[in-house]
Amino acid sequence: MRSPAADRRRPTLWDGLVVLAVVAFAVLLVFLLRPAEGSAVTAVITLDGETVAQYRLDQLSQPVTLDVEGAAYPLTIRAEQGRICIEHSDCPSQDCVRTGWISRPGQQIICLPNRLVISLSGTEPEPFDAVTG
Amino acid sequence: MKRFLPFLCCLLFLAGCTAPSADAEPAQVQFFSMDTVMSIRVYNEGGEDAIQAARQEVERLDKLLSRTNPDSQISLLNSHAGDGTLISLDAEVADLLSFAKSVSQLLPGCFDITIAPVMDAWGFTKEERHVPSAEALADAMSLVNSEALIVDEASSSARLEQAGMEVDLGAVAKGFAAGRADAVLREYGVTSALLDLGGNVTAIGSKLDGSAWQVAVKDPQNTSEALCVLSLEDQTASTSGGYERYFEENGQTYHHIIDPKTGYPADSGLLSVTVISSDHMLADALSTTLFVAGPEEALDFWRSRDDFELVLCTEDNRVIVTEGLEAGYRPAGEDRGYTYEIARR
Repeated sequence: MRSPAADRRRPTLWDGLVVLAVVAFAVLLVFLLRPAEGSAVTAVITLDGETVAQYRLDQLSQPVTLDVEGAAYPLTIRAEQGRICIEHSDCPSQDCVRTGWISRPGQQIICLPNRLVISLSGTEPEPFDAVTG
Repeated sequence: MKRFLPFLCCLLFLAGCTAPSADAEPAQVQFFSMDTVMSIRVYNEGGEDAIQAARQEVERLDKLLSRTNPDSQISLLNSHAGDGTLISLDAEVADLLSFAKSVSQLLPGCFDITIAPVMDAWGFTKEERHVPSAEALADAMSLVNSEALIVDEASSSARLEQAGMEVDLGAVAKGFAAGRADAVLREYGVTSALLDLGGNVTAIGSKLDGSAWQVAVKDPQNTSEALCVLSLEDQTASTSGGYERYFEENGQTYHHIIDPKTGYPADSGLLSVTVISSDHMLADALSTTLFVAGPEEALDFWRSRDDFELVLCTEDNRVIVTEGLEAGYRPAGEDRGYTYEIARR
């Protein structure tokens, strides 16, 4: 049995509507299925396990300086768009200051004498699960 | 209606398409123990109890093994050095001392858990790092001799024969703790987890999708980058490198891995050593030992055994990967001038 549509040469208004609906839905899907964020990078600063500050590094428009209260050795953290470092620490080892800037999810700065950790996380999948060294 | 049927079908099928979900968030904890930062991540459902039990186990061992905790069994052993007292220890502590002594015998002169007085002379223990005077160093070196650590495993006891001697288990305690934490997690039915005990990474089982864990080895010259990435299952990757703790004095850099033969920071031509083994404690002990030994001796030792693999990073920017890792590894530092080679038996 032939469908009525097979007998017609010219598309009807209904055909146009279906095309429009499919196109509109496709555009909608592009928006619905895109990743939630481009490449969010969040820095979480913990002192002896307690979170003391949190920054969205990708959204920082101005540099931020944080003097961490309660640290055994006074310590200053500097965050800029996309990166963060320990600018100054009175700790004896200075390993944390020497680490320099970090910018990628999965990276950490550790100040052992202060029991302070800066950890970066992000929405982009990381290329590995852990780091030895 | 028939016209709309394909469209409705499309809608129905597309409903199954969602943005790829991120990997399930693991239960995790980060804490300070054994003078370092540790984290435990469990990917199986309901891993919180397992994590807490594993953390408690690590903290229990820290209390037993820490040289800086005056109440530890190691402090008790050290405080009786030279007075002839045989100190009763938990069986696991005696076993660990015995293991550490055996590593000293495997590669003579490259590993000694009685190096503690020398570490103190360099100020690495109390974070007052400095180059010791020749006299202070000679005095400290006269106390380094693991032959004078007597361990009786049968009676779980030990003694140090010379006054002033001290044992420090820093080079083996994290590996020992990884083994114990691994056992605790498995008792809780965990089959997919990652331990990071101060840069020693233990991969338990595989990822939930069955694939191997991807563990990056830090570039010793640029610690925000990876040297290479390894595929691990039920193994520990332990890394030792001079870049981890060091200081500068009069323009010279001094790192914390002391060569027991010289009393000075090891200068063997290596920037870092990563040991991969299913024996967590062996991986930890060998990374320090082989860093001191140097690349040729490390590879000779690897060829004499079959229970570990290596990634060596040399001062002349070569990365030597032993053949057992070849299938699952990928280089990551070619753009930074590293060349990669596979060592074969």
